[in-house]
Amino acid sequence: MNELRQVGVAAAQRIQTPAGVQALTVIALVVVWEVIGRTGLLFAELFPSVTGILESLWVYVSTPVLIPHLKASLYEVGGGLLLGALCGIPLGVIFGSRRSFMEVMEPIILYLAVVPKIIIFPIFILFLGIGTGSKLAVGAIAAFFPIVLLTIAGMREVRPVYLDVAKTLGVGPWQTATKVYLPAITGFVFTGLRIGMGAAVTGALLAETKIAKAGLGFMIVEYYSQFRMVDMYSLLLFIFILAAAANWAMKRVFSLLLPLPRSTEDAGVFF
Amino acid sequence: MREDTRLMLWRGFLILGSLSLVEAAVRRRWINPFFMASPLQALEVLWSQLTTGNAFFLMLVTLYEIACALLVSTLVGLMVGFLLWRYRLIGASYEMLLAALFSSPIILAYPIFLVSFGRTSAAIIALSSIFGLIPVAINTKSAFQHVNPILLQVGASMNLTRRQMFRHILLPAVAPPIFSGFRLGLTYILKSVLGLEYVVQVGGVGMWLSEAAFRFEVGEVYAGLVGTVLLSVVFLYMINRAEVLVRR
Repeated sequence: MNELRQVGVAAAQRIQTPAGVQALTVIALVVVWEVIGRTGLLFAELFPSVTGILESLWVYVSTPVLIPHLKASLYEVGGGLLLGALCGIPLGVIFGSRRSFMEVMEPIILYLAVVPKIIIFPIFILFLGIGTGSKLAVGAIAAFFPIVLLTIAGMREVRPVYLDVAKTLGVGPWQTATKVYLPAITGFVFTGLRIGMGAAVTGALLAETKIAKAGLGFMIVEYYSQFRMVDMYSLLLFIFILAAAANWAMKRVFSLLLPLPRSTEDAGVFF
Repeated sequence: MREDTRLMLWRGFLILGSLSLVEAAVRRRWINPFFMASPLQALEVLWSQLTTGNAFFLMLVTLYEIACALLVSTLVGLMVGFLLWRYRLIGASYEMLLAALFSSPIILAYPIFLVSFGRTSAAIIALSSIFGLIPVAINTKSAFQHVNPILLQVGASMNLTRRQMFRHILLPAVAPPIFSGFRLGLTYILKSVLGLEYVVQVGGVGMWLSEAAFRFEVGEVYAGLVGTVLLSVVFLYMINRAEVLVRR
């Protein structure tokens, strides 16, 4: 009896931790959702059962049904991130290299960063058509802003004393770039890339929901228009898991390559 | 010349220079006018739509949606943030869940809101409110958590009542950081409302842009784009000015 009580107390203590409360919340949500889904208590169409959603998710994972759409979305997001980085990093370095450039350019970029990137989509459609190119472009422009802003932030972190020391030692421009600037900005650029990836996912997939021939976003809207709610929920879950996994993997790789940057301001606003 | 004025002039010169280049490129047909309207043409269409068309009404619809989402997210966000601070275990547990939710692409879940609220402004307001309330809640919790304990001790030594302590110590101390959350929330709401209006083709300026693109009216597409950019820029400017005032 005493042992049972001790086990009970230990379990209660474990639950009374943030991780315990989080786990309990998720379990409670799943249970309540399942009950609502099975009994049809509340909008049967809107709340399909969790088991139904998981079954549908299993179909996505175990069969090649999503492969062509996954390929299209990965191409758009990956291409967008690459293009955003190819434009954002050099421009960030140029704008951040001189105080005068930074002071002129940074507010303009900050103001433009707030504009929702999806609204430029019709212009990309005019120029690039409704294929993957226009979504890739939306992904690129969405990824560009966090990357360029965090690169500028990294350049700002370079202490003038380091540059003075490099000058005193007679270091050339190449060595100054690789030995002084690069170590200072790499952490910021990595963070920019990670946030940029999130922005590219949102931008490209949202554009797919508007007009597309393939892609995960396109499938969401297809399921919505066919009122296949179970499939739509499971696809959303699949996308969220994929995005979280990609974010975690990038974080892990970057933390192995480098210690975390000293300052990483919330750049989520530039999504 | 003052440093600020000089910088403003440089920025103006840069923006006007870029627009002039685009104007020249379209007029000289270096860029096909079928794909691109010149900045002057876009402004002309925007002006005529504002004065004679229904662009002004559409802007009001967008502002209404933003205001509703802001109201909901501020009220709920402040309440949630306060509760997260008041009950530490709940705060420590849910802050992370809220942050995780915030970093996920929840905007893609908009069809769920369309099913729940119909293809109306209510769906846009509901989803945008979620975007707005998370930064407000997280910043509110953080603001209360980081109140300087010396201020509270001073209040206690002056025998302030709980109400006086809240009114004269806590509230002034938490206002600036809460406003930062409010600013962030408003920025997200703005982006979400305009983006969703365009994608769902419901509501105000975003819907106008979407319809113009559908009709292949290049001038109107660019006018809508200019209108959206101007709305975003004016909003951000106003929020920044308001934040400066609150921080004073």
